[in-house]
Amino acid sequence: MNDALSAVTTEASGLFAGLKVADFTWAAAGPIVTKQLADNGATVVKVESFKHPDSIRLGGPFIDDKPGINRSGFFADFHSSKLGISVDMSNPAAIEIIRPLIEWADVVAESFRPGVMKKWGLDYDSLRVINPRIVMLSSSLYGADGPWARHPGYGAQGQALSGIHAMTGWPDRAPAMPKGAYSDSVSPRYALSALVAALIHREKTGEGQYVELSQIEATAQLLAPELVAYQVSGVESTRAGSRKPGSILHGVFPCQGDERWIALEAVTEAQFAALGQVLAAPGDLDAARDKGQDALDDAVAALTLPRDAFALMAECRAAGVPAGVANKASDLLEDDVLNAHGHFWPLDHAEMGRLKYNGPAYRFEKTPSALRFASPRLGEHTEAVMTRILGFDQAAIARFRDKGLLQ
Amino acid sequence: MSVAKTALSGMRVLEISAMAGAVCGRVLADLGAEVIKIEPEGGEPFRRSAPLVRTAQGDESAAWLAFNHSKRSVTLDPEADEAGFAALCAGADIVVTDWERLDLDTMDRLAVIARAANPALVWCEILPFGRGGPYERYPATDTVLQALGGHLYLNGDVDRPPVRISLPVGLIQGGAEAASAALMAHWHALRTGEGQRVDISVQACIVWTLLNSTMAWQILGLNEMRGGAIRKERANRFFTRLVWETKDGFVFFGPVGGGGGAARIKSYEALVAWMAEDGFTDPILTRHDWNGDGQFFIPQEDYDAVTAVVVDFIRTKTTDELMARAVSHRILLAPISSVAGVFENPQYRARNYFRPLADPGRGLDIELPARWANLSATPLAPPAPAPLPGADTATILSSLRQGSPA
Repeated sequence: MNDALSAVTTEASGLFAGLKVADFTWAAAGPIVTKQLADNGATVVKVESFKHPDSIRLGGPFIDDKPGINRSGFFADFHSSKLGISVDMSNPAAIEIIRPLIEWADVVAESFRPGVMKKWGLDYDSLRVINPRIVMLSSSLYGADGPWARHPGYGAQGQALSGIHAMTGWPDRAPAMPKGAYSDSVSPRYALSALVAALIHREKTGEGQYVELSQIEATAQLLAPELVAYQVSGVESTRAGSRKPGSILHGVFPCQGDERWIALEAVTEAQFAALGQVLAAPGDLDAARDKGQDALDDAVAALTLPRDAFALMAECRAAGVPAGVANKASDLLEDDVLNAHGHFWPLDHAEMGRLKYNGPAYRFEKTPSALRFASPRLGEHTEAVMTRILGFDQAAIARFRDKGLLQ
Repeated sequence: MSVAKTALSGMRVLEISAMAGAVCGRVLADLGAEVIKIEPEGGEPFRRSAPLVRTAQGDESAAWLAFNHSKRSVTLDPEADEAGFAALCAGADIVVTDWERLDLDTMDRLAVIARAANPALVWCEILPFGRGGPYERYPATDTVLQALGGHLYLNGDVDRPPVRISLPVGLIQGGAEAASAALMAHWHALRTGEGQRVDISVQACIVWTLLNSTMAWQILGLNEMRGGAIRKERANRFFTRLVWETKDGFVFFGPVGGGGGAARIKSYEALVAWMAEDGFTDPILTRHDWNGDGQFFIPQEDYDAVTAVVVDFIRTKTTDELMARAVSHRILLAPISSVAGVFENPQYRARNYFRPLADPGRGLDIELPARWANLSATPLAPPAPAPLPGADTATILSSLRQGSPA
């Protein structure tokens, strides 16, 4: 049995086994939601347009540092356990393929700029005519309406507009850009909660519905305490380096080696005393503390500089002092805790070879999640999905090819 | 006033929490679940966590107020009153707790009571590293987890230590992750009658914010380096400017070298056209296909040269002018919004993201960022005031004694 067929027919386990998902999401924020469905057993069919494939296929890192449509690790990580089909969505006849997919599906998910699904005749009002029980999720950067709804953007704009960017960096400098695209990683948690709540409602009542979410609004949930404080007390908090009010010590300090850093914290007197013991200089720390926060931070930095970061973390943990090495990506892949969890899942891909994909941050005791197979190459499962899920015969597929709907 | 139906109406959630568990409970309450906080006499410690704000009830935690509206509160010591706790669990669907409120031994004891009382119950624990082995007892805080999850290393200026995000992002994301995971487990319980434990690793939640870093290491042997205003975007080998000073603030903007496809190309073209209207022309602006396939091979000095021209232009504009033009001409930039900027943002306002909360008991009349999703058949519940400690003890416990729902 070839890979494509076995992927479609693999007996899925997991709590979403049997759930059917038509997945039009792209980039990161949408695919991370449908990945949770796929890695918990749902049959997720990712629909890509071969004239406009998912743009993160064009984002690095690429295998062998050579760009290519099936070579992006960035794309791969968000597409474990998903089937991929490739259709020319700009051709109005695409509905002949998409309509049976909608009839089949429990969930339709998409993350285009508002208006794209409607242009294809696939907005919720159209979908519910085809399948009244459908639950549709739309996740877009700014939301489906409002003055900026159709403005293009990515998570980097999202983290700026939701306040995360301004809260990162030093108070005496321009805000430092947080790594990544924060709204792409925060919003899926909220989108998934709303989507599963809608599925629970449907399970109880039979009623489908439309779930619409703005990624910046979901991400600004992280700012809720500051928004309350701002209104009640008029105080607008801002970035503070790594300090935190109410702590005796709260910072990031250098260790031995190239770009080795450790986050250390002392909130209680007992923690501060224990840190003094670990750094073998309790008297020095007390004296520096009397001179102020800058002096204390400098004194701690001088003491941590010759230390091995991981050994120091272990000593701090044993002494009850919160401490964390600023892990690099290479450290994460070797991290004892993440590996004891089975956080990384090695999966084999025809063009990319074996790579470790990120698994979920949650674990179910009785219905374990599983990353079943690697991300699909563009159109990898087109034929298998057309025949085994949608029930088309070879003559129909040939007709679709003649019309230019399939590659 | 008629009460609209909600997605989780009929669901009961018990919360024994500090911040992370409260965030989970709030997501579920917004979706319509009845969330009951189990608190010690006088209220849980999180009610007094910094930063504090002054209300008619005294000094209260802003974070507590932000994450505890629309909930009820019962004063109960679940270890002293096992029968009362078991009775509450018998009528509940989800219990959520976190490590800042309960130690692991207490969690284990309570989980036994709760799950014996209700085999379909979802017992959800938010932990620094999740369950298992010696690591489950390592001391951890939000900042420590920002470090161990690999995000902190990547933030900040190169000439200073890496910095955390000055928000408890791990605790809040852990809470939101818990809400989605608990609902998935409840979906399973609804269909099979089988409850289970769900544990959340906040460290892994932070790892998920990296997006492509673990792949960049595996594929290219590349550990990305932090940057402030200037950094290597994605897995690039070259530096580009991403934070730009405007006449009155800062915007995020990645005009060149981003690998983002057609939208990035059009965005740059729209910028260059606008610059030309204002007389900002320079051959460097069109010397390369700055966002095409060749972008990975353009020399650093050319990136620096094009940046210098764009810097001068952006300084002539206010943040609002830049965003207005960005929206009308599809330029991929955004204001780097402060707290006040988020509060006043016209897009949030147009979508009624902020919803009024009148809390006369506290003398508060504020707006909460409450409408984080729009469900067509079952809208999110409008926020109601957060409970005073033990406000619902008598009602809920007496209904339990009578064997009927509150």
